[in-house]
Amino acid sequence: MTIATLLVVVAALALLFLLSIPVSRSLQASASRGLAAQIQPLDVEAFRNLVDPAEDEFLRRRLKPADFRMVRRRRLLAMAVYVRTAGKNAAVLVSIGQAAFANDAQTAEAAHRLVDNALLLRRNAAFALVRIYFALAWPGTGLAAAPVLQGYEQLNGAAMLLGRLQNPAKPVRISATY
Amino acid sequence: MLQAHSLLWHYLWVAPNALLLLLAWLLLRRGGNVRYPFFLAFAIVGALEQLTIYAADVIPSVTPKTWWLIFWAGLVIEGLLKFALIGEIFAHVFESYLSLAKMGKLLIRGLGTFLVFAAAMAAAYAPKDSIFGIVSGAHLLQQTIYLVECGLLFFLFAFSRYFRLTPERQILGIALGLGISACVHLGTWAIVANGGVPTAKRTLFDFLNMSTYHACVLIWFYYLLFPQKVAAQSAVPLPENNLDVWNRELERLVHQ
Repeated sequence: MTIATLLVVVAALALLFLLSIPVSRSLQASASRGLAAQIQPLDVEAFRNLVDPAEDEFLRRRLKPADFRMVRRRRLLAMAVYVRTAGKNAAVLVSIGQAAFANDAQTAEAAHRLVDNALLLRRNAAFALVRIYFALAWPGTGLAAAPVLQGYEQLNGAAMLLGRLQNPAKPVRISATY
Repeated sequence: MLQAHSLLWHYLWVAPNALLLLLAWLLLRRGGNVRYPFFLAFAIVGALEQLTIYAADVIPSVTPKTWWLIFWAGLVIEGLLKFALIGEIFAHVFESYLSLAKMGKLLIRGLGTFLVFAAAMAAAYAPKDSIFGIVSGAHLLQQTIYLVECGLLFFLFAFSRYFRLTPERQILGIALGLGISACVHLGTWAIVANGGVPTAKRTLFDFLNMSTYHACVLIWFYYLLFPQKVAAQSAVPLPENNLDVWNRELERLVHQ
């Protein structure tokens, strides 16, 4: 009976999750107008500084090992905040892009590019977060967060193109500096 | 009323399958077979299979052993069709996004292998609920199919939710109906296959399964036949010269 109980609990939880989908979908549709406001601009330069291996190397040479690990952990935590925000922004842009699929061919094409880039960024952000948390446990190891930065810059361009096509007077920007 | 061969029992067995055949016919008339061939195959073959089992159940000359053999054959065919349909759903949701398609395929293969292994373990450790191997085997096969189906559909919804992907309305409806049916059937077959219910009470679980399936067929009707309400979008005229606009924007950004 233990297996049966376990399977029944799993099935009940999965059912609840599935039943919540149409509800969340209708809520998402009604909230889609304020999507652009959910985007939090990110300072790409500051992020670039955080992920720069040369900066880490400089700190490693200048600081005592214990101090370096402490500073490195703080930098990693800051990096995690940036990556999480970039991931959230990417998710918002997926919604914005999908809402623009039904437009004319040029806008739809730009929207498709934006969604693809945003999905890639969200995926990279998830992987990067895993690596950051791993590095938090072992601050001495290297970390490759550069693909996230690269993806974010590419995404910014795609978002601005779509924003321009949809509304020439009001582009969507997801970076504080570019 | 909640007894085998009652009027409600006959209705719940026949009506959803008749409706499913009607849905398949309506989709064929609309050209829906091109977009979702496996759903169409599932609707036609699944409904015919269930109606055959029903006919075998009510015809007195069919022996119990023959009935169970028909049930087994139907179960295998239906299981294969369901997995093909899940593959079709995955393809519709993820394959248009290059950045997710490869990772999605990889994850699905891994998860599928894990689920088959988990379902095999669950079946291996389940106590026999009947003295007849053909009966308990069918129950365990049901549990196995629904466990894998439920896991794959849950993953599909969780994955698309994480990435905020909004599947097309029709594909969402197909997946939702299939998922709800799989969850309820998994719960009931897990109880039945593990010997948690006396034989006399099993009819109640049959009623629960049949009612759920009826509801799922209605969900498919709603999502596949009724069009989505399209919110009015204000058409924004495209700028006449994109390059000029872009150059201006870039200059503005550079001098910020």
